[in-house]
Amino acid sequence: MAENPCLPKLARIVDIVEMTPIEKLFRLEFVDEEDAKAFNFKPGQFVEVSVFGVGEAPISICKSPTRPGPLEILVRRVGRVTNALHRLKPGDLVGLRGPYGNGFPMERMKGFDILLVAGGLGMAPLRSVLQYAIDRRDEYGEAILLYGVRSYQEALFKERVIELIEKPEAARFKTFLAYERDDPVFDKLREKHPENVRKGVVTVLFECADPYIKPEKMCAVICGPPIMYRFVLKELVKRNFKPDRIYMTLERRMKCGIGKCGHCVVGGATSIKYVCKDGPVFTYSDVLSTRGLV
Amino acid sequence: MAGKVRVGFYSLTGCAGDLLSILNIEDRLLEIFEKVELVEFVMASSNVKPGGVDIAFVEGSVTTEKDLKALKEIRAKCDRLVALGDCAVWGGVQASLTGLDPRELMKSVYGTEQNLYGFLGEHKPLSEVVKVDLELPGCPIEQEEFIKAFVSLLRGDLPEVKDYPVCIECKIREVPCLVVEKGEACLGPITVGGCKARCPYHGVPCIGCRGPIKDEANVAGELLMLMEKGWKPLDAINRMKLFAARYKDLAKLVGRG
Amino acid sequence: MRIVKLPKERFSELFEALKSWGEVHAPVKVGRFYSFKRVESLGEFTLSYTRTMIPPKKYFVKPFEDILKVHVEKGYEPIVEESKRIVLLGVHACDINALRILDGVYMDEIPDHYYASRRSNSMIVGVSCEPDEYCFCKSVGADYAWTGFDLFLHDIGDSYLIRVGGSKGESIVAELTGVVEEPTSIDYVKLRDYELKRSRMFRRSLNASYLPEVVDSLYGSELWAKYSDKCLGCGSCNLVCPTCRCYDVTESLDLNMVEGVRSRRWDSCFLRSHALVAGGLNFRPTRLDRFKHRYNCKSSIDQRTGMLFCVGCGRCTVFCPAGIDHLEVLNSIWGLR
Ligand SMILES: Cc1cc2nc3c(=O)[nH]c(=O)nc-3n(C[C@H](O)[C@H](O)[C@H](O)COP(=O)(O)OP(=O)(O)OC[C@H]3O[C@@H](n4cnc5c(N)ncnc54)[C@H](O)[C@@H]3O)c2cc1C
Ligand code: SF4
Ligand code: SF4
Ligand code: SF4
Ligand code: SF4
Ligand code: FES
Repeated sequence: MAENPCLPKLARIVDIVEMTPIEKLFRLEFVDEEDAKAFNFKPGQFVEVSVFGVGEAPISICKSPTRPGPLEILVRRVGRVTNALHRLKPGDLVGLRGPYGNGFPMERMKGFDILLVAGGLGMAPLRSVLQYAIDRRDEYGEAILLYGVRSYQEALFKERVIELIEKPEAARFKTFLAYERDDPVFDKLREKHPENVRKGVVTVLFECADPYIKPEKMCAVICGPPIMYRFVLKELVKRNFKPDRIYMTLERRMKCGIGKCGHCVVGGATSIKYVCKDGPVFTYSDVLSTRGLV
Repeated sequence: MAGKVRVGFYSLTGCAGDLLSILNIEDRLLEIFEKVELVEFVMASSNVKPGGVDIAFVEGSVTTEKDLKALKEIRAKCDRLVALGDCAVWGGVQASLTGLDPRELMKSVYGTEQNLYGFLGEHKPLSEVVKVDLELPGCPIEQEEFIKAFVSLLRGDLPEVKDYPVCIECKIREVPCLVVEKGEACLGPITVGGCKARCPYHGVPCIGCRGPIKDEANVAGELLMLMEKGWKPLDAINRMKLFAARYKDLAKLVGRG
Repeated sequence: MRIVKLPKERFSELFEALKSWGEVHAPVKVGRFYSFKRVESLGEFTLSYTRTMIPPKKYFVKPFEDILKVHVEKGYEPIVEESKRIVLLGVHACDINALRILDGVYMDEIPDHYYASRRSNSMIVGVSCEPDEYCFCKSVGADYAWTGFDLFLHDIGDSYLIRVGGSKGESIVAELTGVVEEPTSIDYVKLRDYELKRSRMFRRSLNASYLPEVVDSLYGSELWAKYSDKCLGCGSCNLVCPTCRCYDVTESLDLNMVEGVRSRRWDSCFLRSHALVAGGLNFRPTRLDRFKHRYNCKSSIDQRTGMLFCVGCGRCTVFCPAGIDHLEVLNSIWGLR
């Protein structure tokens, strides 16, 4: 029989980067070479991360398979497992299961323009798409990133985002940033790039990006907190994006990650889905046909 | 962590049954205490030693001025505060007197209307007075649950809290349901599990000693069920009041009469 | 499918053959109902019973079990139980169909080891039954086991006609050479008459066609609240349901603070934590949400078997302490009351 899917594999924390007061980026390497080789993932997939003696939590892989090197995950400290994870040090071991979930259809998006919309922690899963698209830039048309954060302090990968704004040609990514709280760095950036940086929530950026948004040949990818989806979807629908070319990654309570434990079940009697298995990436068509998806 | 975790055990108004049940974990008691620096273990006193503690375990309800003062002092000097047992979590059996005139109570027990003990007029759970980080229900607490929580706390985590009803444990142990089979007045559906359905397992209906499931217990539904089984509303309510008097929905039901 | 005939007076020989294959577990009376338990002799159990409270799923996903050992420095190790063969004797058609549904969930592309190994070490012996006032398996097409058993015993009075469902079943029949007989055409007439009589005995029914559409589209109906107000959220209906499969996972350390276990426990979508995520957001915050969710889940179609996720066993109604009747709820949604 195949291996026991409930059994986490060993991985070592090789590096920890403190991103914000509540978020850390962990770089992980499988202890066993074979496990590393067998681990093939797609942008948008997730892993179940175990802290020994505490438990497990689903966390998105936040780098692209096109990049070599350790696996990266970005974890916000919110509860038992994530707090315990934050206490660990480089060199410590964790458990990993996965990769799970369907991931983003990077192949299907080939040849299209892409519009990435991230809010807050949504940058974690979205970063895998962003990196992937940058690394295979020629496979996609126009590329746009809209990123909304509450404050400078809470912004993720801010150096990289600022770089994308300052030197748009380097990665050929049109990047736009919205922030809510006054801050000297972002304020200055806004003065310098009024076309790209705005104050407000992420949806204010659509106005800036509109000249480049061509819904008829564009795929949209959205990642953010549950409340963000409704507002972003409204903007996309207003612009006549095709429902099956709007992708988003959703979150539900998870335990098994493999379609058994039932916690992530969504939908009504005609549309039951498992977020861990049928998702976490869904299209707007799914949203229209599945009760309570967003 | 530098040095051992500093732990204190404190007792307010109650029977000290929860601390007793910790002392009763005889075979493992040493193992428990060797892991920590035991700052205090007071069965009944407000003689609070100086110096902070990392974890304070507090049993008993807030019933007197003395309790109130002691609890505030404990909260001020501890990092995490754990409420132990039904008195600390729900006010205890004494809280079922909620709503009665305190002077009448004094008179019936001590023969005088004078407030002899700085009685606050009601028996409050800790959470109505200070911030509580963890509640371990039960009358008394479950030793196994205490050990698990203790270990989690020592590691700096909070344990997983149980918020499923006793019925779940009946099903897990395949205990015939006393309501379904005999029409008995079982409070299992509204009561926090964790006792492994001890009473139904022995054929005795649950009296709710682990307290109602916070914000969840459907006491109106339970009342309806008991009435359908032939119980008089007042008897049914009194049964629920024993351990759930301070549960807001029950207080509302009682208020409605 | 091959059919053989076993005269009832020779049932003990079948029983012995099963016993020599593995531990036999059969319905034993406990309180007013029944429970599958290990049996050693014929007198301990009965094959004519209404229903067990806990369905046979308990043998494959255990109500509570430790699945992994954990060490704070070394990580996880599976807990491997000694494999033993189990015969479930006297399983009703509805429960066999429910197992087929669970098989699909637990033994899909990513099979659950614990379930799969127990399942492959088990033999299912079905038995025909007579519906009581709670059964509605016929309405949902679960009153007959098409597959999913090794042997199926059809009572025709003085004998059983036995359908043989596969190699395990064949191996038992092979041991009964000289005991089992070829059925005669009269036996088949008896079988037909029995089944005709049985199918007329169903007192309750459900409109199962279009059920998913009706339940889903009437999500906003105020009828739901009438029942969810009464519901105690106790989860009994989920735990006794042969197709409910939700489990929770917990982990804890021993007092030595070095070793511990990861365990799983049957869960229920009526419990607060079922759809709760860190930070306090609950995707099904109220009892009404959870009540409707359960009815939607049970009224949906299992894509693998094409069956409804409810096999009509009646347990949820029988074992609901609040007296909520699954069929009454659905029939009222159908506008039949
Ligand atoms: C597909 C997916 C991808 C995610 N990616 C990330 C990420 O990249 N970075 C990040 O910081 N967080 C991510 N999350 C959220 C993360 O899983 C939760 O914050 C985490 O499970 C909280 O666990 P806890 O033990 O700290 O919290 P507790 O509140 O103690 O939760 C207890 C348990 O409940 C479950 N649970 C609680 N909240 C969630 C949740 N939001 N989603 C799923 N299960 C939950 C877990 O099994 C968890 O162990 C993701 C969630 C999903 C579903
Ligand atoms: S006996 Fe009581 S606790 Fe057990 S299932 Fe019945 S109602 Fe629930
Ligand atoms: S929903 Fe009720 S009747 Fe249907 S299979 Fe489950 S327990 Fe049986
Ligand atoms: S979601 Fe509810 S109804 Fe569906 S399988 Fe899980 S417990 Fe059963
Ligand atoms: S068994 Fe009855 S009371 Fe309990 S959760 Fe189910 S419907 Fe509600
Ligand atoms: S997380 Fe267990 S079924 Fe999706």
